[in-house]
Amino acid sequence: MRKWTLALISATMVMGLAACGSSNDNKEQNSANTGNQAAGNNAAAANAGDSTNSSSTESVKLRIYAQYADEDTKGPYDYAVAELKKAMPNVELELDVQAQDDGQKLKTYAATGNLPDIFQAGLDIISTFKKSGNILELDKYADDFKAKIQPSAMNTLVTDDGHIYAFPYAGNEVAMLFYNKELFAANNVKVPTTYDEMMAAVNAFNAKGITPLALFAKEKWPTVALYDMFASRNDPAGITKLDKGEAKASDPEYKTAAEEIVKLVKAGMLPKGATNLNYDQAAALFHEGKAAMFLNGQWEIDASTKALGEKLGYMYVPAADAAAYESSKLTFSGGGGPGGYAVNPQTKDPELAAKVAAFISLKYAEFKFTQRGTPMVATKVDAPVVNKFPPVMEQLSKDIPSMKTTAFSWGLSNPKFKAAIEDAAQSLMTGGYSPDDFVSDVDAAISSK
Amino acid sequence: MRKYLGNKTAILLFILPALLLYTVVVFYPVVQVFYRSLFDWDGLSEAKFIALDNYKRLFHDHVFFTSLYNSAVFAVIIAIVQITIGTLLAFAVSEAAMRGRKFVRITVFIPVVLSITVVCQLWLAMYNGEYGLINKLFEAVGLSYRQDWLTDRHTAIFALAAVNAWQYMGYHFALLLAGVKSIPESYMEAARIDGASKMKAHLRITMPMLAETYKFCLILAFTGGLNAFANMYIMTSGGPGTTTYTLTYMMFRSAFRVGEFGYGSASAAFLVIECLIVTLIINKLIARDPIVY
Amino acid sequence: MKTLRMKYPISNILIWLYALLSVYPLFWMIAYSLKNNDEIFVTNPFGFPTHFRFDNYKTAWTSFNVPQYFTNSVIVSVVTVIFSLTFAVLFAYAVARMKWRLSGAARIYMTIGMFVPVQVIMIPLAILMRDFHLANSYLTLIVPYIAFNLSFATLVFYGFFRSVPVDLEEAACIDGASIYRTFFSVMLPIIRPSIATMIIFVFLAAWNEFPIAMMLISKESLKTLPLGLLFFQGQFTTDWGAMGAAMTIASLPTLLLYMLFSEQVENALTVGSAVK
Repeated sequence: MRKWTLALISATMVMGLAACGSSNDNKEQNSANTGNQAAGNNAAAANAGDSTNSSSTESVKLRIYAQYADEDTKGPYDYAVAELKKAMPNVELELDVQAQDDGQKLKTYAATGNLPDIFQAGLDIISTFKKSGNILELDKYADDFKAKIQPSAMNTLVTDDGHIYAFPYAGNEVAMLFYNKELFAANNVKVPTTYDEMMAAVNAFNAKGITPLALFAKEKWPTVALYDMFASRNDPAGITKLDKGEAKASDPEYKTAAEEIVKLVKAGMLPKGATNLNYDQAAALFHEGKAAMFLNGQWEIDASTKALGEKLGYMYVPAADAAAYESSKLTFSGGGGPGGYAVNPQTKDPELAAKVAAFISLKYAEFKFTQRGTPMVATKVDAPVVNKFPPVMEQLSKDIPSMKTTAFSWGLSNPKFKAAIEDAAQSLMTGGYSPDDFVSDVDAAISSK
Repeated sequence: MRKYLGNKTAILLFILPALLLYTVVVFYPVVQVFYRSLFDWDGLSEAKFIALDNYKRLFHDHVFFTSLYNSAVFAVIIAIVQITIGTLLAFAVSEAAMRGRKFVRITVFIPVVLSITVVCQLWLAMYNGEYGLINKLFEAVGLSYRQDWLTDRHTAIFALAAVNAWQYMGYHFALLLAGVKSIPESYMEAARIDGASKMKAHLRITMPMLAETYKFCLILAFTGGLNAFANMYIMTSGGPGTTTYTLTYMMFRSAFRVGEFGYGSASAAFLVIECLIVTLIINKLIARDPIVY
Repeated sequence: MKTLRMKYPISNILIWLYALLSVYPLFWMIAYSLKNNDEIFVTNPFGFPTHFRFDNYKTAWTSFNVPQYFTNSVIVSVVTVIFSLTFAVLFAYAVARMKWRLSGAARIYMTIGMFVPVQVIMIPLAILMRDFHLANSYLTLIVPYIAFNLSFATLVFYGFFRSVPVDLEEAACIDGASIYRTFFSVMLPIIRPSIATMIIFVFLAAWNEFPIAMMLISKESLKTLPLGLLFFQGQFTTDWGAMGAAMTIASLPTLLLYMLFSEQVENALTVGSAVK
């Protein structure tokens, strides 16, 4: 019985504590600013600093919802914040780290009227928020930005309705088939240009115990990209035609692509359990020379060059025959779409927020160009390059002028089709899913639009 | 006595705090779900009333049927596994003569205590087709039974159910143990003096006395299974394809990936009704009279 | 009694094996927290670490706000346990033992809370919290946590109250005790094992809760451990050992709590036999 009373006593004590806790809440709300400052400083590491004596220049605080998870997303953010401090010292950013949740948190923010001043928006967020009035039309604030955009990247700035809703930084990125030159040479395998050669390569590598193609199919977009690579050999528009409802998956161009993939998967093209492989695992296979090919965006060049050096190459996608290969080889899967930093229409000073959003996007592009060696950014950069382009990037930049692109799955405009093709393409990678299943699942989503 | 237990003021005082809070914070949003399921709505913009169209669409959507099937498989597996093992362990541990029962009692609950993320990460490693422990075990005993546990379109849901069944068995064990403990010793002693074997005594005395606990365990396992989400979310993202979707997962996809909040609400509303029916059936099947000692 | 121990050797061995299988994840997690990436993924995913990298703990504790997250989790979980159990035990008693017309309906009504997927009511819930002006305070988590645990706790207590003999209340009534007195000094002690069990369950639920915290908390100073862990995951994509250390730190309180209160369940033995 003693223990029990003890528990009760401690319970009442905590009750008292709870009461203190709630009175603290009120205090906290009154002093919310200082609390937020602390949080912002903390998250943005060393970049936020003196927040006390800047009242003379009328300091402004903006809430920003941005990706800030790994090197790839932290680097540009920290760089942009540091630059912002130099250019507009009176503006302070309070970072709210973006969750990996298909936009659930951002939509909840919108529904509760708690949207941050500046947020990262993709095409799906733009089209949803456009309808509900949760995104500011940036047309009148975009003149300076427009002057700096690469002509080829105009598609990432202006949406289909002719308006601007977000300042892009990514440019037209593409998915690529990388390969390990040494593995192909050592095993006497020809870099495939046709489906038959691809099948021969798959068989040859499997015989040697080498994984033919590493794919991180736990994420769905690489599976869509693989399907799109095959489909765009037959029709240069690739999945974008399905997205717009101008073609059906049952059309021969699209059905044969599924059939070829199923054949290759059944022959053992992908590693065991590919649909549960994450990026780290799939990349490790390729980087350690255990896989001959690897599918990823061009942003992979940096990491793969570090791991493989001169051995790294990229190939054009194999097609049905040599003629088809030649005619379609400069069609790349992927491409950019509208997206980037957007502004909340309810923000106190829209002009300032838009200015800051544009500034950050420009600095993102600058960082990626100068530090990460990627020429594929939305805006022109005149700062000197710090890390020079790797050889594969040099080679790719020669293809860029005559390159045609389709879309990544995140750039698709019909959300219902997007969800369906993502699920169906991932199923294709299991080998236990027939091309007919694929056709009927995808077409169901297209027709119900 | 009737008057004593029918004290209106006391009843009101006892039920009001819970009832109020629950109604406002849980039930009101549920009503919203049912209401929103009648609309074509993306969660933000203006909603369009479409009556029962979302429900009609549900019955032509094969993802819905996959989800329904998976939820049922999941629920049945975890109910059977958790309650059976939970019962056996609870009986064993309540046995004063059992060696190290304290150790057993504490350890079987450990998986429950760990967060679901930790447990899922562990099983992702265990199931891995290349270097996973499970395939290695099969190899060690000489079976060439290598499997891609989580990426096979037919086994994936079973592999997920196994993880959940294993992790939350301890819940049922703890509930049943608490139940066994509150049965006065004298009953078992009386039965044993009558010459019944231990197992028989449990079957005849303990289990019927635990009827209410069993009822609760069943409801918990079934509704938990039908609602399954976290295992899929962490381990397979519903894949490969849509093969490990459950109704909750489908709702999540519709509402947030596709932006069809109304349609997602319809599948959630269906789920709530489904669970309610299952609960009512379980209530009917298991005697509800209070046991009189 | 001795014969009993010898009677079931096989089942005893099986139980012991099962117990070991249950400890394994704990061992795995602690081992994980002391390894480096190479060991975790390739060379030694399941075994004992070759070197004890205690540095992982230092990294985990210092590079993020772990002490703050920890405090927040404790406050939120403890308050949730106290209120949801108090409300639930009162409600369950009224429904299980007292005589009123709608008691059955009230119980079923309460059950519905168990099968509402929290994801779908997130938006209405977020709006509700805003309208109550609870956003950005501890209460924005505590209030939903209490409410969501009511269904579960009520049903457990209901089950226990139903299995208590009626003659106890009759005796108390004849002795002239008020209904409140009967409840507090006769009924509560009897269901002690279930209260101990529920303290563990509700604490666990609140401690590990993730989706609501994710949606409703944006202030760094209010983040709970699971939320902090999520951002760890980004921070440490290159350092999984530190991630393991953070997970271990986050699991400790729940383990200790369980060991403490499962003792209560055990001690109930004496109460159970004393009642009759």
